[in-house]
Amino acid sequence: MDTKTGAVASKRNGATPLARPGRIRWAPGTTLAMLVVVVLLPVVLPSATLATEILIFAMAALACNLLLGYTGLLSFGQAIFFGAGAYCSALGMLHWQLGLFSALLLALGVGAVLALLVGLLCIRRKGIYFVMLTLALTQMAYFLAYTLSDWTGGDNGLLGVPRPPIALGDTTLVSLASPLAFYGLVAVLFAVIYIMARRITSSPFGSTLLAIRENEARAAALGYDIRLFKIMVFVLSGAITALAGALYAMLLNFAPLSNIELLMSEQILIMTIIGGTGSLFGSLLGAGSIVLLGDILSAIWPRWMLLLGVALIAVVIFMRGGLWGGLTSLLQRARRASSHDKEA
Amino acid sequence: MLNVYLFQVLNGLGLGMIYFLISVGLTLIFGLLNFVNFAHGAFFLLGSYLCYTLVTLTGNFWLALVAGPLVIAMLAWALERSLIQRIYHLPHTFQILVTLGIALIIQELSIMIWGPVGKSVPTPELLQGVVRFGNFAYPIYRLFLIAFSAGVAILLWLLLERTRFGALVRAGSESTEMVSLLGSNIFRLFSITFALGVGLAGLAGVLSAPLRGAHPFIGPEVLGLAFVVVVIGGMGSFSGALVAGLLVGVVQSLMTTLWPQGASLMIYAAMAVVILLRPYGLFGRA
Repeated sequence: MDTKTGAVASKRNGATPLARPGRIRWAPGTTLAMLVVVVLLPVVLPSATLATEILIFAMAALACNLLLGYTGLLSFGQAIFFGAGAYCSALGMLHWQLGLFSALLLALGVGAVLALLVGLLCIRRKGIYFVMLTLALTQMAYFLAYTLSDWTGGDNGLLGVPRPPIALGDTTLVSLASPLAFYGLVAVLFAVIYIMARRITSSPFGSTLLAIRENEARAAALGYDIRLFKIMVFVLSGAITALAGALYAMLLNFAPLSNIELLMSEQILIMTIIGGTGSLFGSLLGAGSIVLLGDILSAIWPRWMLLLGVALIAVVIFMRGGLWGGLTSLLQRARRASSHDKEA
Repeated sequence: MLNVYLFQVLNGLGLGMIYFLISVGLTLIFGLLNFVNFAHGAFFLLGSYLCYTLVTLTGNFWLALVAGPLVIAMLAWALERSLIQRIYHLPHTFQILVTLGIALIIQELSIMIWGPVGKSVPTPELLQGVVRFGNFAYPIYRLFLIAFSAGVAILLWLLLERTRFGALVRAGSESTEMVSLLGSNIFRLFSITFALGVGLAGLAGVLSAPLRGAHPFIGPEVLGLAFVVVVIGGMGSFSGALVAGLLVGVVQSLMTTLWPQGASLMIYAAMAVVILLRPYGLFGRA
């Protein structure tokens, strides 16, 4: 498998990937690092709510990364799934009295089905037309949510979203009312999804995705059904994003219209890119640093988003690997320096 | 009742001409430079704010109408020279990300300079009031808007079809390499076209300021609509941008009397349908 990914990761004409995933060497290391981060976040940060928000957006960025970093699909459609996950789980809990896990499953299902539809439509086009199509569909979803204000609350958002306890039948096992308890749930879900995504990306399926990203025509010539692979990634990504959306609604007890806005897609994309595309740990880094930066700066300098614009440009021009890429090259340099010391 | 529809159609034509001015710049840049400019809406925003500042400082709308687009074109020129030129060779994905960053910077800077609340711009004195045709009255400024942008459209058409510069732009859209091989400085052509296209977005911003004012978060909305027009008209097509711009403007304007929330939904649905069925647009060549 190594030789195969190596072959497709070699030089191509023109289409430079955002970043080359350094997944093979770092695989066990980043899963461990992820677990350490997940455990330490609520200890280090002033509030568990902030930690929860970081993991929810890390989940969304990770899903976006599967599309952008591993398959090379730049989609502005992630807000559709994020928003739909939030609305559907919230409506399910409000109107059908769904429990916690049924609401989350509903979000997963809705996300997967929507992503199947969006994927089926969008992969009919490539390049800029693909991007435009995802953009048009997101705008449609937004205006649909805005129009259906009886259901979604329109501009005011959907209020009073509950946060049901973990229950078995009618007996409550764990109440999630406290921020730390809810963080625990989100952390477990995030870790499961991270490990699952890591396994998927390092499987032959993942290698095929990279092959599609590197050179679609060549992957097709090797006999892979490109459409099928792209749709599968879409479904996977959509389901995870919708789950993140549902958790976000539970965190806020509220599902704002901004969940399904184009801006949400942009925000998730920016987290993914600044963290480092093609690295799952990078998504955690990206989401973490941007949510934190926002939390710290928004009070003292409301225009902190300016920095994101600068960072976005800097990443594309100077540092394709994003934060993760910067970190790994630093580590490598340090390692090389220390081996030089030994020789000397 | 008929008057209401006439009123809305005229409003739609004005709106459509604004859409045309925004989109034609986007489509020119895409056609010649094969560059996707996600910062286009942000320059529209900047145009509206420059109009506000120049009108409040000097009280002269005409100065704003000339200086606003020029300043923005100069800014675009500098930006092209310093940054955009470095990313022409990159895939569209990177161009989108960099220009998204630029849009974000412009938006946040605008809020830092002009504040988070929108500003309104007074209608120039000469163009206040209404014109009456029998019992039908229509604001003069809106008529001026239609006439003025029609004039710009004609000048632009002449520039593209009747001048050496236009010939180079059209030839360059067909084959950049060939134009370059024939001895034209393609990079200068790129810079001028980028500045021209962005300047037109700025002009649209200036023109729409007396109607809608200047709002810091209008950029993404404007960009979305410009993409609708460009896609429906066909990417890189001048006449496509004109017809599609007017079409979208009039449809949107008529829909506001019938079903306002549905107008935007329909417009984006139309965009999706066009990409799926006729990716080269209604007027573009396959």
